Amino acid sequence: MDRVQPSGENYANPKTCFFHVLFKAAALAFYILSALFVNSFVIIFVVTVFLAALDFWVVKNVSGRILVGLRWWNEIDDQGESVWKFECLDQESLARMNKKDSWLFWWTLYLTAVCWIFLGIFSLVRFQADYLLVVGVCLSLSIANIVGFTKCRKDAKKQIQQFATKTIASQFTSSLQSAFSVV
Amino acid sequence: MSYGDTIPLHPSSQSDIDEIENLINAGAHSATVLPARAPSPSRASIPVSHSPFPLPPYQKMPPSSSPTPVVSSVPAAAATTTTAPGGSSRIGISTDALESPPDTLTEPVFDTVKRDLTRIVSNLKLVVFPNPYREDPGRALRDWDLWGPFFFIVFLGLTLSWSASVKKSEVFAVAFAILAAGAIILTLNVLLLGGHIIFFQSLSLLGYCLFPLAVGALVCMLEGNVIIKIVVVSMTLAWSCWAAYPFISTAVNPRRKALALYPVFLMYISVGFFIIAID
Repeated sequence: MDRVQPSGENYANPKTCFFHVLFKAAALAFYILSALFVNSFVIIFVVTVFLAALDFWVVKNVSGRILVGLRWWNEIDDQGESVWKFECLDQESLARMNKKDSWLFWWTLYLTAVCWIFLGIFSLVRFQADYLLVVGVCLSLSIANIVGFTKCRKDAKKQIQQFATKTIASQFTSSLQSAFSVV
Repeated sequence: MSYGDTIPLHPSSQSDIDEIENLINAGAHSATVLPARAPSPSRASIPVSHSPFPLPPYQKMPPSSSPTPVVSSVPAAAATTTTAPGGSSRIGISTDALESPPDTLTEPVFDTVKRDLTRIVSNLKLVVFPNPYREDPGRALRDWDLWGPFFFIVFLGLTLSWSASVKKSEVFAVAFAILAAGAIILTLNVLLLGGHIIFFQSLSLLGYCLFPLAVGALVCMLEGNVIIKIVVVSMTLAWSCWAAYPFISTAVNPRRKALALYPVFLMYISVGFFIIAID
């Protein structure tokens, strides 16, 4: 995939974008349409949750990396403490990211969560506790990804600022030093 | 799994230069995996465990100057990757002491899949099967993941549902909900007893300890005789409890061990009854 093409023209990673959307749409579609075709709740549950879990994995491990250059995970350090790590690509690569890709990434992420919330409200209104369970699981997976990536993006921005201030500060001090050394 | 651990020698005694040297050497041997300690799960560079939530006490971000990429161990792979965003500095070696291992931001997808699968298998082996690291439970389940528990809970639910002749959906839903909620509540129990355990690690552990019961349920599904069912379930139940014991007991104050262990055993016993009683 060439990422050098002018951004905004086309998706730079059509395959990744496709998969990013595929599992989300499949989970939602299956859940909504299954009531028409499938009698068994068990199948609905297992397939929907499986698709949602696959989507979670794809977003977290593949499309997050490729479309927006962000990644988050959890580690347990030597002291047994849980540590959340956030990582992003360096600034120049981030700047080169395709705008359409990241637009798609973020919008579908938020949209899916909203859809699941709506479906949850429906099943709540109809007093279907078991469907609520399905929606609950899928919703928590979506929200997990949203939270993770949003934190990641905030960290990335903070990093840019820190880097910028550090560079400015170091340049400032070095120019000061050179000024004083001349004197 | 801390970054330092991916390097063969223990990070705390490493100087930066040693780490970089190790990376260079490790890279020369190819492979994406730099095992840190013998039986530990394939420490392929960076963990991609999954789960949500809380705050990072500290955020070890890659140094702002060069957070990207990839270290020697993925040069070949990087070439085949569909996108390699950090193009220019693809094969660079980060000089930051804590962030030196290969960067999985640019690894190919297949590697991620393989790494996650390997982690599930190794977690399973660590938790359920006898191995020397069980006595040090903090280290044993360091790379927790929730995929294993997810599969086992679903599998157990499916088996129970299949075995049931009536009300299959309810059986499944109830089994899933009880197991999931049970794991969460049990973890909260340990935490409230003043225990030192990490939420997701404990969830992961309780899920993996369901493996024997899942196997037992499968056997019971295929086998109709009640006596055999009882024998099989008791054996697998004992196995599950044995698997869960060290992790829970070391997490709490010794005087509260029983308080923490009792609900766990209770949950597994009720699942066992459920398996036997289903027809």
